[in-house]
Amino acid sequence: MSELLEEASLVERPEKNKPLGILFWICVGWVALNVIGAIFANVLPLQNPLFEDFSAVNVGPGLHHLFGTDDLGRDIFARVVYGSRVSIAVGVGAMLIGFGIGAPLGMLAAYRRGRFDMVLTTVMYVLLAFPAIIATIAVLSFWAPRALAKIILVIGLASVPLVYRVIRTATMSIATKDYIIAAKVQGATDRRILVKELLPNIAPIGVSFLLIGIATVITLEGALAFLGLSVNPPTPSWGNMINEARTVLAENPWLVIFPSLALCLFLLCLNFIGDRLRSHFDVTEVKL
Amino acid sequence: MSTDNKLLVVKDLATVFSTAGGPLAAVGGVSFDLEQNETLGIVGESGSGKTVLSRTIMGLQPRSNVTVSGSAVLNGFEVVGASEKAKRQIWGTDVAMVFQDPMTSLNPVMRIGKQIDESLRVRQGMSRSAAKARAIELLELVGIPSPTQRYNAYPGQLSGGMRQRVVIAIALAGSPKLLMADEPTTGLDVTIQAQILNLLDELKDRLKMSVILVTHDLGVVATRTSRIIVMYAGRIVEMGSTRDVFQDHRMPYTRALLESSPKVANPSHTRLVAIPGRPPNLLKLSDGCSFAPRCAYATDRCRQERPELEPAGPAGHFFACWNPLPTTRGASPS
Repeated sequence: MSELLEEASLVERPEKNKPLGILFWICVGWVALNVIGAIFANVLPLQNPLFEDFSAVNVGPGLHHLFGTDDLGRDIFARVVYGSRVSIAVGVGAMLIGFGIGAPLGMLAAYRRGRFDMVLTTVMYVLLAFPAIIATIAVLSFWAPRALAKIILVIGLASVPLVYRVIRTATMSIATKDYIIAAKVQGATDRRILVKELLPNIAPIGVSFLLIGIATVITLEGALAFLGLSVNPPTPSWGNMINEARTVLAENPWLVIFPSLALCLFLLCLNFIGDRLRSHFDVTEVKL
Repeated sequence: MSTDNKLLVVKDLATVFSTAGGPLAAVGGVSFDLEQNETLGIVGESGSGKTVLSRTIMGLQPRSNVTVSGSAVLNGFEVVGASEKAKRQIWGTDVAMVFQDPMTSLNPVMRIGKQIDESLRVRQGMSRSAAKARAIELLELVGIPSPTQRYNAYPGQLSGGMRQRVVIAIALAGSPKLLMADEPTTGLDVTIQAQILNLLDELKDRLKMSVILVTHDLGVVATRTSRIIVMYAGRIVEMGSTRDVFQDHRMPYTRALLESSPKVANPSHTRLVAIPGRPPNLLKLSDGCSFAPRCAYATDRCRQERPELEPAGPAGHFFACWNPLPTTRGASPS
C-alpha cells in the first residue's frame, strides 16, 4: 500500500480555475449593454431615431445630441442604439439557424461516417465552394419585399455549410478517441455518446465559433446594408448608417465614426469573450 | 470436453478487411476457448492480429469494409453477426475492456466519477446517490486513495497509473464476466506496470471474472496467465499452458520470441537476439507457413504447405509447425 500513497502525492489537487480577468468582464458588460440597449430601445429615454429636426442639422457631439445629428437632423445616438437591434438580431438569429442545422448534421456525419457522411459532406463542400456573400446578395436582390426575417433566414442558411464543416471536423477528431469506444463497450447508446461524450468535447470549439460567427454575420449585414440590401432606410442599422454617412464623410465625420465604433467594439468584445471562454473551459490543459 | 462451462468459445474466427490491395486477413481462422475465472494471454508481434482478434471477440469492428466469419460465443451469446443493439446487452455486463493508453481512454471533459456513474445509472438503473456510492466503492477497489475527493477530479488531474486504475474501475462497473485488457500497461512506466498487473490479477480472483491479456510483452504474461496463445500473421501458431509455452515450446517462432526478450540472468552487454526479417505483409501471404521466410528450420514443405495446429502431448498444448523443436519437458528454464 505504500506505493499507493506515494502515487497519491503525485496527484494534483483539483484547484480552482484561474479567474477570467477584468477585461473579460468589461467585454461581457459591453456586450450585455448593447443587447439590453437593443431590446429596450423603445422604452429607454432616447430621442426618436426617425425624427428629422431641420433646426439642428449636422450638429457635432454635444449635451443635447450626445453623438450629434446627421444631415437630416436625426439624433445619431438614438440611431446607433436602434441600429444595434438589426445588427444583433441578424447576427444571433442567423447563427442560431446555422448552428441549428449545421451542428447536428456535422456531429452525426462525423460519428456515423460511411455513405451518409460522404453524401452530406460532398453536398456541403459544393455549397461551400459557392461564395456565400454572392449567394446572399443574389437571393436578397430578388426576394422582395425586404424584411429582417428574410435577411436572417438567408444568411443563416448560407452559414450552414461553414458550421457543418467546423463541427464535423471537431467531432471527427474526438469520435475516434478510445474513450468513445470505451463508452460504447460500456453499453452506451449512440444518442448518449453524441450528447454526453461528444457534445461536451466540441462545445468549447462550438461556442467560440458561434461568437466569432455572430461577429462575422454582423459584418456581413454591414456589407449588405452598404449595398442597400439590408433593412430598408430609414430604419437604422450600423451598416446602413455607415453607408449613408459615407457621402458626407468630409463634412461630418461623426456620422461614420460612431456607428463604426459601435460595430468595432461589439465585434472585438465578442471575439475576446469567445477566445477567453475556450481557454477557460479547456480542462484538458493541465494546469501545473 | 463439454462447452457448457466455457465462458468463451471461439471457432474459425476470421476478420478480413477489404483494402485497395485486396482482402487482408488480419485474423485468419482462430479457434480457442476460455474457462470461467481464467487468465489467458495472447502474445505476438505488432501486426500479428492480436488487437483485431480481441476487438472482433468484443464485436467491435469498423462499420464498413470488414467481413467477420466463424463464431465467437461469449457466455452463450453469438457475437459474430449480432446487431449493435444486441451487442449493447453484453457490453459492460458480460465483457468490458481496458484500453492501452489511459491518456486517451478517459473523456477529458467529464469528471471521473461521472464516467463510472454513467453505466451504473443507465445500465443498472441505479439512483444518483446509489451510483455515486458504488462509484466511490469501485475507485477504492482499484486502489485510488481518498476516492471521495477523486470522484470529482478530471482525468487531467491524475497520473497515468491512476488513470488506468480509473479505466479499470469503469470496466468493472458492470461486473463483467470477461475483462479484455488490450496492452493495459504499454502506456505506463515499468514500476506502475507491475502495480496495474497485480491489481488485475487480484481483481480477477476477487470478482470471479476471466481476463484476456493481450500483449507483446512476454514478461507481462509469464507469471499472471494460466494459458498463452502465440499469434503470428493472424493465426495461432502455439497454444498451451503458460508453463508449456515457456519451457516446452515446439514452434520456432515462440522460441524466437522468448529469446528476443532480455533476461536479467544474462551478463551485461549481452547482445539482444532479434528475429531476422520483418512480420509478413498480410496481403501477400504464401500458402505455406507464414513464419517460414524468417525461420531457421524452414524446409520446402514449410514454404508450400501450411501446418495446422496439432496436439503436442500435454493436454491443451498445440502447435502449428512441420519441424517442431524437440520437446524439452523437464529441462530447466533458460
